[in-house]
Amino acid sequence: MHIPDNYLSPSTCAAMGAAMVPVWTKAVRKVKEEIPKAKIPLLGVGAAFSFLLMMFNVPLPGGTTGHAVGGTLLAILMGPYAACISVTVALFIQALLFGDGGILAFGANCFNMAFILPFFGYYIYKLIKDHVRSEKGEYLGIVLGSYAGINVAALCAAIEFGIQPLLFKDGAGQALYCPYPFSVSIPAMLIPHLLVAGIVEVVFTAAIIIYIKKVSPGTFYKGARVKTKAVYGLVAGLICFTPLGLMATGTAWGEWGADEIKEVVTGGNALGFVPQGMKEGFNFNAVMPDYAVSGLPEAAGYLLSAVAGVAIMIIFFKILSNLKKDKAGNNVG
Amino acid sequence: MDNAENKPADLPDWLLKDENYIPLVDKDTFVNKSILSVFKVLSRIKKQDSQGLTGSRIHVPIHVLGTFLLIMLVSLTRSFIFVIIVNVWLLAVLSMIDSERLVRILKLSAGVTLCTAVVMLPAFILGNTYSSIMITTKVFATITAMGLLSHTAKWSALTEALKKFYMPDIFIFILDITIKYIDLLGELSLNMFYALKLRSVGKNRSKYSSMAGIAGSVFLQSKELAEDMYHAMECRGFTGEYHINNKSELKWLDYLYIVINTGFLILFIYFGRM
Repeated sequence: MHIPDNYLSPSTCAAMGAAMVPVWTKAVRKVKEEIPKAKIPLLGVGAAFSFLLMMFNVPLPGGTTGHAVGGTLLAILMGPYAACISVTVALFIQALLFGDGGILAFGANCFNMAFILPFFGYYIYKLIKDHVRSEKGEYLGIVLGSYAGINVAALCAAIEFGIQPLLFKDGAGQALYCPYPFSVSIPAMLIPHLLVAGIVEVVFTAAIIIYIKKVSPGTFYKGARVKTKAVYGLVAGLICFTPLGLMATGTAWGEWGADEIKEVVTGGNALGFVPQGMKEGFNFNAVMPDYAVSGLPEAAGYLLSAVAGVAIMIIFFKILSNLKKDKAGNNVG
Repeated sequence: MDNAENKPADLPDWLLKDENYIPLVDKDTFVNKSILSVFKVLSRIKKQDSQGLTGSRIHVPIHVLGTFLLIMLVSLTRSFIFVIIVNVWLLAVLSMIDSERLVRILKLSAGVTLCTAVVMLPAFILGNTYSSIMITTKVFATITAMGLLSHTAKWSALTEALKKFYMPDIFIFILDITIKYIDLLGELSLNMFYALKLRSVGKNRSKYSSMAGIAGSVFLQSKELAEDMYHAMECRGFTGEYHINNKSELKWLDYLYIVINTGFLILFIYFGRM
């Protein structure tokens, strides 16, 4: 999921970096509040741990191996804010010293893996854990949280890729950066994550938490009880708002390259110039006739798919938690 | 020898039985792979620490700035010629460093470039030639530039450079600890991986949970290490503030580097007009 440089436009990178600044500020403040001064070194050691975690290969069906990101795991162990800082530092070292992930794309990578992944995963975990008060509920939370976390992060990366051909084209209508629209980028990112990486993440997260619980219970982070409605709002808003905000900033930041702003303006608006590119027949979009037939501008298409993805996930999770809640209720009563 | 022959009766029965236990073949690719990837990271950290003599000859903060500028320009430019010029320059610099490091830098950049080429192949076939070729060459340039920086400059010098750019102390501090503890915790997990391998004779079905155990132990250990480290800091009066001691002067090589980078900036503007 590490996005290298040049897949995203510099303006997107700048927008994503700008989006991370308040998150980092809040995270540092929160960590200072929550964690006593004596544990500040833990942030660095935690970052080293999260870096190493990505070195742990886990067997996959079919004889290959993969590695987990462990963002949700770190959030459950140390709290989402500390996880945010740890993953950020780990990503920084990967980008600067190991050439894994771009320097300019650092903000985007942090947004996906240091912000969306741990926070989303953690809140899903916390939500289920708080509402299903049994051991099973907690494990369900771990499973769903880590699975959702990595997949939402992958979705964000796919959205970042997918808006590139919409926003940045040259005169001939050819994409300047990542050439794949949402119809390609979202399945390409999500299918492997849904089928493979997500499962690796779940198994690894659950196994480590079970181990730590057995060996040293009480080392877990204890966050405040999560309010249901607020989280739903946050999650839904976050996902739907991300591409929108990006799009807006992408246009506003057009002065990065004079040509970019010209294109966006000549298009009338971001929504307008996509079908134009399709008519030219030279564009990659032309091979996706479904889009043209339905007459849906691609920009609307991606928003739709983002909303649909979130909605399906919330529905799925609601049904599951409902089922579990009944069971847990029976156990208690 | 006589003694042993004389009193076999003293030996317990089970020792006298013939053993023909043949361990079942078990797959442990993932353990090997994990060992390898941890090992790679560790050797990378150790290597950069011992490169004192052949280290960067360019003033590190300037090198960092120059690399950042180059990556920025490459990312922004629409001119294929400019990207090619940058690539040629990077290859020229590459050719001047020792072969061992050259191979390592090239391995990474070639790998990522190849991966990009594969990703871009469908777009290329479907007619989007511009971005497929541009992105592939640009990726090569950026990864090579980063590789040159991280392989020629000591990492401690890199954190020092960050301090010069007014990076907050807490960030440098965390970064510093992280690099050191990747080494420490990596050593730790490496030993546990070896232990897992040595103790898995024949089929070991619980290898997977042992893997989780290794990660879990590393986490618990890291918590303890962090606390110990705080006490060590307190004892030595370190408050997490960094000061730069040496005042290095710019040499002619640094001026040359600045001139070359300014040249790239001019080229970028020149080709941007076309």
